[in-house]
Amino acid sequence: MKKEIWFGLTIMALVVLSAFVLLPAPSEMANGHLGLLMLALVVVAIMLGFPTAFTLMGMGMIFAWIAYKSQNPALAVQQTLDLMVQRAYSVMSNDVLISIPLFVFMGYLIERANLIEKLFKSMHLAMARVPGSLAVATIVTCAIFATATGIVGAVVTLMGLLALPAMLRAGYSVQLSAGAITAGGCLGILIPPSVMLIVYGATAGVSVVKLYAGAFFPGIMLATLYVLYVVILAKIKPSMAPPMSAEDRIVPLPAFAQVVSKDISSIVLPGLIGAIKGKRNAAVSMRDLLNHMGIALLPALAVAAIMGTIYFKVTAPLPVEAVAGVVAMGGDLADSNTTEEEAPSVSGLSEPEADGLQPPPADTTEVAKAEAAPAAEPAKEQAPAVAAAAETPVADAERQPAPLSFWIGLVSCAVALALFYAYFSFVRLEIFKMLLGSFFPLALMILAVLGTIVFGLATPTEAAAMGSLGGLLLAAAYRRLNYVVLRESVYLTAKTSAMVCWLFVGSSIFSAAFALLGGQELINTWVLGMDLTPVQFMILAQVVIFLLGWPLEWTEIIVIFMPIFIPLLPHFGIDPLFFGLLVALNLQTAFLSPPVAMAAFYLKGVSPPHVTLNQIFAGMLPFMAIQVFAIFLLYMFPAIGMWLPGVLYN
Amino acid sequence: MQNLLLFIDKVSTWVGQFFSWLILLLTLMISWEVFSRYFLDNPHAWAFDVMSMMYGSLFMMAGAYTLSKNGHVRGDVLYGFFPPRLQAWFDLILYFLFFIPGVFALAYAGYGFAADSWAINEHSNITANGPPVYPFKTILPIAGFFLLAQGLVEIVRCIVCIKQGEWPKRGDDVDEVDVAKLKEMVNVKDEDIAKLDALLTAGKGTK
Repeated sequence: MKKEIWFGLTIMALVVLSAFVLLPAPSEMANGHLGLLMLALVVVAIMLGFPTAFTLMGMGMIFAWIAYKSQNPALAVQQTLDLMVQRAYSVMSNDVLISIPLFVFMGYLIERANLIEKLFKSMHLAMARVPGSLAVATIVTCAIFATATGIVGAVVTLMGLLALPAMLRAGYSVQLSAGAITAGGCLGILIPPSVMLIVYGATAGVSVVKLYAGAFFPGIMLATLYVLYVVILAKIKPSMAPPMSAEDRIVPLPAFAQVVSKDISSIVLPGLIGAIKGKRNAAVSMRDLLNHMGIALLPALAVAAIMGTIYFKVTAPLPVEAVAGVVAMGGDLADSNTTEEEAPSVSGLSEPEADGLQPPPADTTEVAKAEAAPAAEPAKEQAPAVAAAAETPVADAERQPAPLSFWIGLVSCAVALALFYAYFSFVRLEIFKMLLGSFFPLALMILAVLGTIVFGLATPTEAAAMGSLGGLLLAAAYRRLNYVVLRESVYLTAKTSAMVCWLFVGSSIFSAAFALLGGQELINTWVLGMDLTPVQFMILAQVVIFLLGWPLEWTEIIVIFMPIFIPLLPHFGIDPLFFGLLVALNLQTAFLSPPVAMAAFYLKGVSPPHVTLNQIFAGMLPFMAIQVFAIFLLYMFPAIGMWLPGVLYN
Repeated sequence: MQNLLLFIDKVSTWVGQFFSWLILLLTLMISWEVFSRYFLDNPHAWAFDVMSMMYGSLFMMAGAYTLSKNGHVRGDVLYGFFPPRLQAWFDLILYFLFFIPGVFALAYAGYGFAADSWAINEHSNITANGPPVYPFKTILPIAGFFLLAQGLVEIVRCIVCIKQGEWPKRGDDVDEVDVAKLKEMVNVKDEDIAKLDALLTAGKGTK
């Protein structure tokens, strides 16, 4: 132990010393040099372990006073006090940060609704045929749950309790199991609605809405890359992830289903219809049959509802074609999914769409009825419509014929549905019912929250509040909402928000002092003096952030160092939005980089004693490599992130 | 003295927890506002101001509570390796160097800031006829005061730690990751984990 301490302290002493040595003599020292000194000192001070918010506040105050004193000693104290109070008040009344407590609250509530057990179970049954199914199910569960809650520690711990035993029992290698859990658990940092993007947006002055739209596909891409890696690994080395045994895959059928599938048909629709019509099965209650018929028909109803609303949207005499583009995409996705025999996910994709889109159609039909009404009202609702207005000519008739793409979409949906029902056996019905109770509510909620933000129906604050309300309802629906749960969530929310927002108070005082001293200009001229190409600058910036991710937390990196990088971006013609996406991906890797990765310690806390930290770290490394690859992909193909915000807001 | 400090600790916690409930209020208020605007066609001009006031009060007043539960983020890469006495020494020095001056200045400046606002009977100018701002601005010195008081408690904690060689206990509170509770939630018992371990070692033996 002693050695590490001396090593660390020596490094810090060296940093301070070299800062003093490298700076010019006090007589020639300009304020800008003081700014750099301040930056070096603050890194050292943070490493000493004092609460960062107050380190920043204290140091910012001292240096702000020095800066003011060099200009006008008489006013220095008053100016410093004014600066501090102004900065603190601006954080208190910040209209971006306000969504942080709301999203955090939503996360705690959802975590306590205890969906994860059901989610994991239904996921792994639904994916039984995929190679490495348990690991894939783990990643998907983590991704969904972490996205909804955003609490890395809790997700990793819970999955360590649920998925790790399951994987080890099935003969998965410790490394792969640990890697899948830790990597999956950290996805919530990136996939919106995430707090990290709000913090970046508030610091860099980038719209959170655009960040959310931009981070969506990179997040999905990262999750997909993880899944691909696991699937390929399971194919190449079955010893690391053996396929599930047949007995594990058995889904117990309810009594009536056993009777029906034996006597009539194991496919749901003919089976149920036969049982309802025929009198052969007196033992089966009609109520069960009708209930299950209703559940079985849900996907078809959902598709019909969506296509119906789209038809109304498309043919309505208002320029609302944007929705056609969006939904055609949904239809295609659903189609390609069914071919993979992943039947239940069809409605996984289509139902949320319905949810996101239903409110506006109700509105438009109303508008269509009262056509004489001035067009001012709909304009508010149909902001996103601007997006693809070029696709179809603006309507002048009352009801215009639906475009060809709609009919293609309709036909492909119908084919998908037909295929879906052809393979829809009673076993799958059971899995579908389980998904209905775990996966769909969460997916629906996330997509509803995101959809309203991204399509401009609500501000992030409003969507976050609705999300919290949804969390309350979800917890209530799962019988988990009681005073204790509510109280715990409320207190935890207060502590987390106070942590993030006080850090903001400190850092805004600190960066004001840094700017006052002219440290920013010095860095600007220095970086510009290096004469970098944009690519070199980008790589340099990402490497610096990556390295900072080792000793510092992402909150600290964003609030302290982003204000230094952001002003440099225009010089190199880099979009701060794109930079933010890269930073978010980059900071993800910090969560998986040994030896400081918190995820590993959470997992270690609940794993059997023979799973060592080294095994967990070794398991994380391939996933970290995938993250670096994902950064590279995003850099090479910026469209992955920039396409959606571009389509929606330009 | 001891009692006074414990009392301060309790008061910080109580105040912080009291203001924590604002998050529930905030959720319900915004949800109602959204409903009212879209479905009743009756938006309220004051909603925006009230929202930001609730959020501001929430996190400012929870600052001391968070400090008393050691919830403010620390760079603990190195700190974690320090023995408790060294941790306490560094904390003690930095409390005097950064915390006390910084928070005192904030509270003091906040007092003047709020007093000015009271003096001119300031109202929000985001909308016409905005709600009064002076109560909200008063939160700033009050939060600063509680934080300062809690800082004194923390300083005493450091001194106790330097004397005794270990950190005095903090009051119980909810943890973000409470392993015991999570285990209970998903019905996993310690025996199950132990059993798993046997499986793991057995697997190694055969290879």
